[in-house]
Amino acid sequence: MSDMSDPMITIENLSRSYGGVQALSQISLDILPGEVHGLCGENGAGKSTLIKCLTGVVPPNTGTITVEGKPLSSGDIHAAEEAGIAVIYQESTAFLDLDLVDNLFVGREIQKFGLLDRRAMETQAQAVMRRLDLTLDLHTPLQEFSIAERQMVEMARACLRDCKLLIMDEPTASLSARETKTLLGLANQLREAGVSVLYISHRLEEIFQLCDRVTVLRDGKLVCTTSIDQLDRNQLIGQMVGREVNSLTRCEEREGQNNEVRAKIIGLSSHGQFSEVSFEVQVGEILGIGGLVGAGRSEVARAIFGADRYDEGEIQIDGISLKKGSIRAAMDAGIAMVPEDRQHQGLILPMTVSENLSLAILSEIMKHCLLNDGTENERVKQLIQHLAIKAASTKMEAASLSGGNQQKVVLGKWLAIKPRFLILDEPTRGVDVGAKAEIHRLIRELTAAGMATLIVTSDLPELLALSDRIQVMCEGRIAGEIDGASATEEQVMRLAFPRGEEQPI
Amino acid sequence: MKKFAYEFVLLGLIGVVLASAAILDPLFLSQNVQLELSSEIWELGLLTLGMTLIIITAGIDLSVGSAMGLCSVSLGLCMHANLPAWLCGLVCLLTGLAAGAINGTLVAFIKVHPLLVTLATYGMYRGFAEGLQSATTNAPVDASDGIKSIVTGGFPVIPVLFTALAVWTAILLRRTAAGRGLYAIGHNEEAARFSGIPVARLKFLIYTYTGLLAALAAICYSARRSATAEAGMVLELDVISAVVVGGTSIYGGRGRLIGTLLGVLLIHETRQFVDWYWQRSELTLIVIGTLLILAVLGHRFLFSRNPQTQ
Amino acid sequence: MKFRREGSLLVLVVLLSLLAMLFDSSFVPDNALDILINGIPTMIIACGVMLVIVTGEIDISVGSLLGLLAAMLGLLSSTVSPGLSVHPYLAILIVLTVGTLIGLGTGCLVVFGKVPSIIATLGLLIALDGVQDWLMGGGDIKHFPQQLRNLGTGTRIPVNLIIAVLVVIGTGLLCRKMAMGRRIYAVGSNPSAARVAGISEAKIKLFVFALTGLLTALAAILWVAKLGNVSTSTGAGLELKVVTCVVVGGVAIRGGRGHLLGVVLAVILITMIRTVLNFMDLGSEAVKWQRAIEGVMILVAVTSDHFTQQQQTGGSA
Repeated sequence: MSDMSDPMITIENLSRSYGGVQALSQISLDILPGEVHGLCGENGAGKSTLIKCLTGVVPPNTGTITVEGKPLSSGDIHAAEEAGIAVIYQESTAFLDLDLVDNLFVGREIQKFGLLDRRAMETQAQAVMRRLDLTLDLHTPLQEFSIAERQMVEMARACLRDCKLLIMDEPTASLSARETKTLLGLANQLREAGVSVLYISHRLEEIFQLCDRVTVLRDGKLVCTTSIDQLDRNQLIGQMVGREVNSLTRCEEREGQNNEVRAKIIGLSSHGQFSEVSFEVQVGEILGIGGLVGAGRSEVARAIFGADRYDEGEIQIDGISLKKGSIRAAMDAGIAMVPEDRQHQGLILPMTVSENLSLAILSEIMKHCLLNDGTENERVKQLIQHLAIKAASTKMEAASLSGGNQQKVVLGKWLAIKPRFLILDEPTRGVDVGAKAEIHRLIRELTAAGMATLIVTSDLPELLALSDRIQVMCEGRIAGEIDGASATEEQVMRLAFPRGEEQPI
Repeated sequence: MKKFAYEFVLLGLIGVVLASAAILDPLFLSQNVQLELSSEIWELGLLTLGMTLIIITAGIDLSVGSAMGLCSVSLGLCMHANLPAWLCGLVCLLTGLAAGAINGTLVAFIKVHPLLVTLATYGMYRGFAEGLQSATTNAPVDASDGIKSIVTGGFPVIPVLFTALAVWTAILLRRTAAGRGLYAIGHNEEAARFSGIPVARLKFLIYTYTGLLAALAAICYSARRSATAEAGMVLELDVISAVVVGGTSIYGGRGRLIGTLLGVLLIHETRQFVDWYWQRSELTLIVIGTLLILAVLGHRFLFSRNPQTQ
Repeated sequence: MKFRREGSLLVLVVLLSLLAMLFDSSFVPDNALDILINGIPTMIIACGVMLVIVTGEIDISVGSLLGLLAAMLGLLSSTVSPGLSVHPYLAILIVLTVGTLIGLGTGCLVVFGKVPSIIATLGLLIALDGVQDWLMGGGDIKHFPQQLRNLGTGTRIPVNLIIAVLVVIGTGLLCRKMAMGRRIYAVGSNPSAARVAGISEAKIKLFVFALTGLLTALAAILWVAKLGNVSTSTGAGLELKVVTCVVVGGVAIRGGRGHLLGVVLAVILITMIRTVLNFMDLGSEAVKWQRAIEGVMILVAVTSDHFTQQQQTGGSA
């Protein structure tokens, strides 16, 4: 644990606004050496702005940051780096076309007489990889690594420098359980070495597992900074949201199930991605697909939706065989998919909320072959009301909405086609707790009202809370099925790991 | 009306050009002269209709001028063979459709970057035009009477055709599902595809449409001057300039046809006046090139978007 | 397969040589040097344009710029009116400086004016062409001092070839062995990550545009030195040739990747095509189809290029 000495980092009265929006106001907190300090808050609470101020990407309007007693010059990326502040982002800041060594040293290359000193860089690279227990080839372009491996490379990059503060921003969002364990282990290693860690995550289990203290932000303001043993999960959520919320208890009453099969997937195979995948989803049922990242879950979802082609097998909706590789055919059959990547696949950010919501039903809002504003506005209004989307106006850009509201827009776009089979891929990733609960409620309601739902999620509590049945995929195959009501995380994990692998504790 | 602020700026600029003409040499503005000079504007205008659609999808077509040359040669060959006017025209249109379809197939279905495809076809179509011409008539072909009478006869076929196509294209863009789809593709092609928009089909169609327009422009040109492989040489630069000056973003997702039309008018009048008054083609080039850059700078400066809040 | 593109290009070069040798077995030894020398201006400029494209931008003004700089060189150094007849070395220095400044200006338009590079360089392509015409006032420029001509038609040592080789080596060094080179690729590969890594996108882009301007000036000087003549069509169409070579050479249009070796091979290949076609003397008929054949080959290269890229990137992440 940390020793109560002088703080490593002191933040005083930090404020930052963008346009008229106050992203941070008068934040004061300190981080002790060798402490893992959690940072929680809904989306839009100010976490990423705080990170940007710490790393020098953005200068604060007021306030100071002090590292080991020395003030940090604001808005200066190099100064922050020199001061020992490093950050691992959720989105990839990797250079896919460059190899591993280049990725570690971009921006701070080691040079000798004006030329790159490859040997020195490679030596240091080897050293840091050893420290982190990684065995990746130094000369492979990063493109060929998995998302998890790329994240490890970024950790390595952050560890190259003498780190005083490591900021980890949702680092486990795309990681499997085993990879998460490695990452958390690393955080512990750093803690023991006296490095401070600022850990931002929506995964509260990790916060409770790892952190000594936690700071909660809400609407740009500091709500509290407490030691982790003084809070329980619901209280933490309560502080973030301002109210007690719990969507993750199972709804024991399951309505609407009548054993009618809506979707039947038979022997679906796609070379190199998944094989012999078969399952059924009934009307009024939520089928969850669990498994490690890379098990092929999203690939199956995309194949069903027609976004990707598959090699063998058949998909039947209400008994009728579906044409493969055609999104149009899938939509006509009543399939809708909320994709994994909200920003690149789900939404068109520069278009308005209204345009995004109506994107899938353009043929329905036409009159005499032309788009009809009145019909469009009506449908959009209905969707906004039904989903409780918070947007100042329907004509604002989708980009300006918070993560939770953006996800609701994607969901709304698809609900507009009145789907018979809804596929959700990571529906609450990057969504704050309040919106998450609303989305869960909606999923349950819609399914009960006569839809069949397939949900792919890496969020185990979500998987267990929502699913009636769970299929677990492992390395491209269905490893087993578990009943949703009685499932436990261990059961899912046991099936998710390839046979013969070490099980996580 | 704030939405059309940029178009008003363009209108103002056109006014400035005309006003300068009024001051420096009012003869330029006389009806005869304008009518005489306007014959070139239809070709430019036709090509910009398709180019606007293409640039809105964040694509580009560098081969329009070359396609026009190829169509012109095919028209010339038919006329040379004394085929009836309707057949000549049909062959020309088919050539244009084929040229556009080749671009469209490569861009939409094989998914090669449009800059690369049209860079290659820019050379290829012109090369085939020149080759065909050298191998057969080895000289420009004068327009046959049939073609001439249709195009430059009493009834203003071309202006009417252009207006009809322009109106249709404008409606397509703003008020149809296909148009909304084009804007979506320009912003984010993947998300558009994931929303059920027929991306490949739409892209194929707009390149093919542009090929058709090139054929129409070729007919125009050949009736006015002669059917030659030189038709449309360097015209693609003007076409792209007109579309961009008209406010369409080269990155895709934004642009209006009315802006393009004003861009066409501005570029045309500027070019004609500078040519007329100073009679130095180099000055025209400098002015047009500068105009293009200033238009984009000005658009950004006057209408800079609010920085995104994080 | 790391050098797949370069391998295919090499194969094509060899095939083309063999084809020519079918007609005349001494084709290669006789013409190899000529081919290399013909390709010099393209090669030099391609080094710069390659870097521009790697950063994710494009520069299609190089042809007009070359013409303009050639005209400027002509006016400065020609011994016949309207030439100013300044010392050739001074003229060269001025031209190199002006070229670099114009390149820098282009960079400013893109970086600070935020004008998309395709539009900025399109506008320059048009405008600079006009300036060239204006400077030349209609007539060709001839009669250059011997000191200048020596650069292009050196009696025994092909000075221009040596210069070109040095440029290529220099560019290669920059790409592989200097931090600036890595950063150029980084900016093209992931601009936002580059920013976060503390790399100044502005500095990198200004550098590559300025460098391209400098290299274009160098190419203009060597061009004039070799031909001894500047006309209003000098440089016309060169930008398309350069961009084609860069793209066929394996540089991705979206930036971030591409090897200089591929570009070198592509320049050789494309320069060869014209020479070989001329050489094979397929009759006056075929000559007229030259451009068409070139176009088809480029189309094939660009399309097949696409397939190999797909295979290289493999499945989605």
